[in-house]
Amino acid sequence: MIKEKKNLFYGLIAVMLLVLPFVYDSRSMIILLTQVFIFAMFAMSYDLLLGYTGIVSFGHAMFFGIGAYTIGIFMKQFEPTVPYFLLAVLVTVVLTAILSYIVGLLTLRLKSHFYAMLTLAFAGLFLVLAEKWRSLTYGNDGFTFRTPEVFRDRFDFYLICLVAMILVFVLLTRFTNSPLGRVLQAIRENEPRAESLGYSVIQYKIIASVVSGVIAGLAGILYSMSLRFVNTSVFTMDITLDALLMTIIGGVGTLVGAIVGAGIIEFAHHWLTQLAKVHWIFERWIILFGIVYILAVMFFPKGIVGTLQNMKKRKKHTVENKDDKNISG
Amino acid sequence: MSAQLKLNNVETYIGQFHILQGISFEVRKGEVTVLLGRNGAGKTTTLRTIMGLNPASKGQVQFNGEDIHSLPTYQIAQKGIGYVPEDQGIFAQLTVEENMKVAMKSDNDQTQARLHYILDLFPDLKTFWKKPGGLLSGGQKQMLSIARAYINENELLLIDEPSKGLAPIVVEKVMESIMEMKENTTIVLVEQNFMMASTIGDRFYIIDDGKTVQSGEMQVLKDDQDMRRKYLGIA
Amino acid sequence: MEVFFNLALNGLATGMLIFLLAAGLTLIFGLMDVLNFAHGGLFAWGAYSGTWIYATTGSFFIGIIGAIITGLILGMITERFIIKPVYGNHVQQILITLGLMLVLSELLKVVWGPNQLSAVAPSFLQGSWEVGNIIIIKYRVFIILVGLLVFLAVQYVLKNTKIGLVVRAGVMNKEMVQALGINIKKVFMLVFMIGAAMAALGGVLLGPYSGVIHAEMGMEFAILAFIVVVIGGMGSFPGSILAAILVGLSGSFMAYYVPDLALAANMLLMVVVLIFRPQGLFGMKG
Ligand SMILES: Nc1ncnc2c1ncn2[C@@H]1O[C@H](COP(=O)(O)OP(=O)(O)OP(=O)(O)O)[C@@H](O)[C@H]1O
Ligand SMILES: [Mg+2]
Repeated sequence: MIKEKKNLFYGLIAVMLLVLPFVYDSRSMIILLTQVFIFAMFAMSYDLLLGYTGIVSFGHAMFFGIGAYTIGIFMKQFEPTVPYFLLAVLVTVVLTAILSYIVGLLTLRLKSHFYAMLTLAFAGLFLVLAEKWRSLTYGNDGFTFRTPEVFRDRFDFYLICLVAMILVFVLLTRFTNSPLGRVLQAIRENEPRAESLGYSVIQYKIIASVVSGVIAGLAGILYSMSLRFVNTSVFTMDITLDALLMTIIGGVGTLVGAIVGAGIIEFAHHWLTQLAKVHWIFERWIILFGIVYILAVMFFPKGIVGTLQNMKKRKKHTVENKDDKNISG
Repeated sequence: MSAQLKLNNVETYIGQFHILQGISFEVRKGEVTVLLGRNGAGKTTTLRTIMGLNPASKGQVQFNGEDIHSLPTYQIAQKGIGYVPEDQGIFAQLTVEENMKVAMKSDNDQTQARLHYILDLFPDLKTFWKKPGGLLSGGQKQMLSIARAYINENELLLIDEPSKGLAPIVVEKVMESIMEMKENTTIVLVEQNFMMASTIGDRFYIIDDGKTVQSGEMQVLKDDQDMRRKYLGIA
Repeated sequence: MEVFFNLALNGLATGMLIFLLAAGLTLIFGLMDVLNFAHGGLFAWGAYSGTWIYATTGSFFIGIIGAIITGLILGMITERFIIKPVYGNHVQQILITLGLMLVLSELLKVVWGPNQLSAVAPSFLQGSWEVGNIIIIKYRVFIILVGLLVFLAVQYVLKNTKIGLVVRAGVMNKEMVQALGINIKKVFMLVFMIGAAMAALGGVLLGPYSGVIHAEMGMEFAILAFIVVVIGGMGSFPGSILAAILVGLSGSFMAYYVPDLALAANMLLMVVVLIFRPQGLFGMKG
């Protein structure tokens, strides 16, 4: 029953977001929300790693960046048409899958430090690659490109991103509730135990890493399409940090948390950057989030959504306990 | 005679596993108290709980009348308890000398004299003085571990299965040294080797399924074949 | 020949700077099982505070001392308030130290502004010697000497003092060290502070070497230091200097002959080590 209520609630919000552009015609709000959807997808892919499998990646930007550059290069070097768009999606999926598979294979059998470190270093490598391979990437400055006709309208693109986000949410919810997803969570809770139950932990971790990498790549595609521009910033640590902040502050291991986190960070980014005109200190708004993030890791490791869920559960528990006492007493 | 170490209904969890479920015993000053019990009964965990390595979640551990169960490990050790773990805990890449030095609280004449005395007790250690601890044989590691726990003037030694995996002749050597140390130190000994346990032990406690179930003078156990068979699986 | 010599000297100097960063990382990891992702932030703080003090007082020496003190203080604060509450939880540690990295580098911009600072070597370290037709830049020699000196000093402490003995024993078996009556938490803090101070020293030395300092270089050098720690073996102090020199030299030669592959070469080295010898070339822990 509770689950139904929850689904109803999510559905309601989805419908509200769907009709929003028809009732509230603000270009900047539409653009901002589009960003939120894109980063929500990215953050959910991150949550699959961190929240559901207990893997810390510091190089998630590389998958995002691969998607962003692949679409840009295809649109620029070939034609901004739907077939080339589909081809770019396919290439992104293949590239990110192969890369995440290799990275996972190399490090996931080692301590969590190694995965974090190797992904960090790999992302650094892609950043350098994007800077140096000027014939394709135009170096640091990046390049603008045209997108296929169907994606040009802001409102249509808004709807496309929203639908993509909902799809990713539904798919990942299914995935994490599938038997495979349950094994992943068992691994996060107690790896040696999962191992002793006969699961090949490394295989499962690699699967999670691949799924996550591919979704991050798709988010990257939408990101650079929304800007019709791509430069090396998509490979920087900042992008990975965004995913981290969103997931941690929103709540790890909940998926909804990633969406909430994306909303908070993107809106804060938007408003606080505007405030920078008032006082330069607001340009350093990220400090505030850094501190919130540290405190969250220390005191609310479950983030906003997780903490709320816990509070609800606890309430339920105490009620049940009271009932128990009534029965026994 | 007052108890030097006293455990009162101690319970310990490791992770979510309830390992010790009620351990109570008293160790009298100057005696050798032997903890017996089958594999997995909780003997090692009991010693680790005393040392604060797996802290007790319920019950009391008292040393010389003072509660120590909520102290950190290093403070418990500083109270005068030496520990010889089941795996000996040798620092493999440190030399025998360095292994001893980590433990030595001071480097004065008194400690030096004690060191000489100990090296006479375990001449092998003198031979391998500059060799890495990891290269020692099983018996020598055991001796190093005991020597290291004994170098400070500890009032109490906790020794976990010193005979484990050793040839009978080496067991005898280790046993002799423990007999010698017994003269000025109280000892809690975990031991499966009943010959050794009964030779040096004054008093015994049997642990089963995380609880102390039997106790008495060593002689009682020597005479009671049924009890031995029931709890220790030996005749 | 001249080119070779110059590249070698350059590589050695860079290697020493990386070593100063990697040494703390590896000691902290070996002893405390903490991989400090904020280490690059401490490096950058050393660079900024030291350069600023140097510029204000006019004394390079005071600048270095200032950087070291900054490192010690930040190290203490970090250990006490950031690391200690999450000991034993790897994921939390990794996440929290990265958060600290973010805060540290943003704070730099608040204190010293978002622009880069420039630094020049003090006059007695400027210029170069000429031996035959080889030009030896004085400041690079200075960096190499300082790096060696730090290595020897730490190595001496590790080998010949009680505290060094305790640190080495702690790397192997923390529980046993405590069971021998030693308060390892105090040792943790000390090692963390010294590691931070070494990173800060590396940072301030970098200033006159590269001419300018900016907040991002903390992360840049940290990545090199991570590579070094993996290659040298997590927890191996001698491994960290050998691997740092290796990475410094390969970076310097690659940058000359195939500039685009300089970072890639070191990364590749790390990947190969990870596949075939995850405990590192000189390490003992996996
Ligand atoms: N880290 C741990 N996690 C889970 N269970 C543990 C852990 N350590 C010990 N146990 C369990 O606790 C119980 C008691 O173990 P303990 O080592 O104290 O037994 P013991 O009496 O010393 O056995 P032995 O004679 O084999 O040394 C065992 O069932 C063991 O499986
Ligand atoms: Mg045992």
